[in-house]
Amino acid sequence: MTIAEWLGRLLQAGLGNLAAYLAAHVLLCLVPAFYIAGAMTALIPKESVTRFLGRNAPTWIAYPAAALAGSVLAVCSCTIVPLFAGIYKKGAGIGPAVTFLFFAPAGNILALVYTGGIIGADLAFARLALSLVFGIGIGMIMALIFQRAEARREQAGEDPFAAKGGMRRPAVAFLIVLVVLLLAGTFKVGLFTNTYAEVRLPISGADRFQGLLSSLVPYDASRGEEGVTTQGAVLIGLLVLVGLTSWKGFERIHEGFTSWTWLALGLTALTLLTAAAGMSPHTGGVDVRFTGRFFGVLLALGGLAWLIFRRLSEDERRDWLWESWRFVKQIFPLLVVGVFAVGVIRELMRPEWIRVLAGTNSLLGNLAGVLFGVFMYFPTLVEVPIANMFLGLGMHRGPLLAYLMADPELSLQSILMISVVIGRLKAWTYVGWVAVFSAAAGLIYGSWVDGAGIGLTTVYLSSFLAVLAAALWWANRRSVRSLPLHQT
Amino acid sequence: MLVIKILGSGCANCKKLAYLAERAVNHLGLEAEFVKVTDYAEIMKYPILSTPGLVVNEKLVSSGRIPSDAEITTFLTTALETA
Repeated sequence: MTIAEWLGRLLQAGLGNLAAYLAAHVLLCLVPAFYIAGAMTALIPKESVTRFLGRNAPTWIAYPAAALAGSVLAVCSCTIVPLFAGIYKKGAGIGPAVTFLFFAPAGNILALVYTGGIIGADLAFARLALSLVFGIGIGMIMALIFQRAEARREQAGEDPFAAKGGMRRPAVAFLIVLVVLLLAGTFKVGLFTNTYAEVRLPISGADRFQGLLSSLVPYDASRGEEGVTTQGAVLIGLLVLVGLTSWKGFERIHEGFTSWTWLALGLTALTLLTAAAGMSPHTGGVDVRFTGRFFGVLLALGGLAWLIFRRLSEDERRDWLWESWRFVKQIFPLLVVGVFAVGVIRELMRPEWIRVLAGTNSLLGNLAGVLFGVFMYFPTLVEVPIANMFLGLGMHRGPLLAYLMADPELSLQSILMISVVIGRLKAWTYVGWVAVFSAAAGLIYGSWVDGAGIGLTTVYLSSFLAVLAAALWWANRRSVRSLPLHQT
Repeated sequence: MLVIKILGSGCANCKKLAYLAERAVNHLGLEAEFVKVTDYAEIMKYPILSTPGLVVNEKLVSSGRIPSDAEITTFLTTALETA
């Protein structure tokens, strides 16, 4: 094989991966998720959550509130690090701040939905639950270890956490319907997957078009690759149009709504409806199947349109669209590049390497997953296609979860940013604990996948937590003893 | 003369806020000095939870979101009245 041929094959692999990721099932979860993230940022006042994080907040309120803040208020690092610094410097202290830092990349709507859509709901749920439990655990450990340093920290100035805020009822309804749209697009139940009507569009050459696509993007299902369908090609075309009209309509939205804005929204709705319908090309034309999913998406879109035109204020509409567009602009290009790169890398990797290293749920495998997560940096959400590549190459789901938990929390870049805020010693202590907890999470989840059963998994999890609690109790007693009496 | 500070490390929303504030100042025909505060230690001196933040004459008037045109105009006129 010549070098040109080899490069051609890599290019083809990258493009094929990209095309497969822009297919129907990903669009139905990712597009609503971006709009939900935008709505959360624009419509939920930060004060409604942060007022539980003030410096006088009791432990049992501050930690859950920090986790809630992680899942609702923070989607990209642009928000995570400032809010982390704010909670640490002016709020409840290092414990809740670390809980927030750990939980935010795993608990936000985009990460959750994207993991669920691409890898599977089980892994998304495991990632959510274990991040929550362990995030609170790491926060408490950090608070205990640095108890004395914490006590010495001056807390001066106004309390920015005192402000209160509430949500308007139409805004709440709007968020709920957006979530319904997401569920209608992604839930795999009979009600949604059954076909209730079918139309045959007499487009000749549809089967030849499908043949052309398959030859352009050849795929090997046994290696976890996906091909491109006719529907996928139509969707990619629509997406490009949505991107162009969004650029015209949303970039200058603070100057007012234009017809481009409405065109972009209309095209987005059309894209979702196309993705929700089933399509199969054959010699006589294209069969379009109207599934339950199609009607669910249609209903949800109708509800959204009514709320947007009749119930939301001009400011709410504008803020929602701007924030959603900002997320798309910030995350989507990196995601596209990342997915392309993953396709190329997959072509270069041998499944044997992965299988030997992390093919089973061993301690070594889980540590390898964590180590890879710590030393690699990927932009927001790109960790998910990477994890999916590992899965396709034969990685066990346990080490996979260990990797997924460690990667977005830790990278050399984020460690540097965190140490600016809390100091180098605390930052590296945090890194150590994240590594330990991620490996434990992978081991526990992996044993459940291997068929350990609910009971045994619970035993593993609770004994890990018991060891932790005992260590905490012991550390606490020691530090209380060593504290001079007058410092209480 | 107003001193307007934009707090933020240079993310998209900070740039948008700076643009909107400048536009509002021009609309009202005011004179103002704009300062972009990007240093984190400096930003945290204000009671701010998340960027972008808008400071008019050393008073933090909005943070964590982009205020609307009408709000910015109100901030500016109140600052002029109290000055």
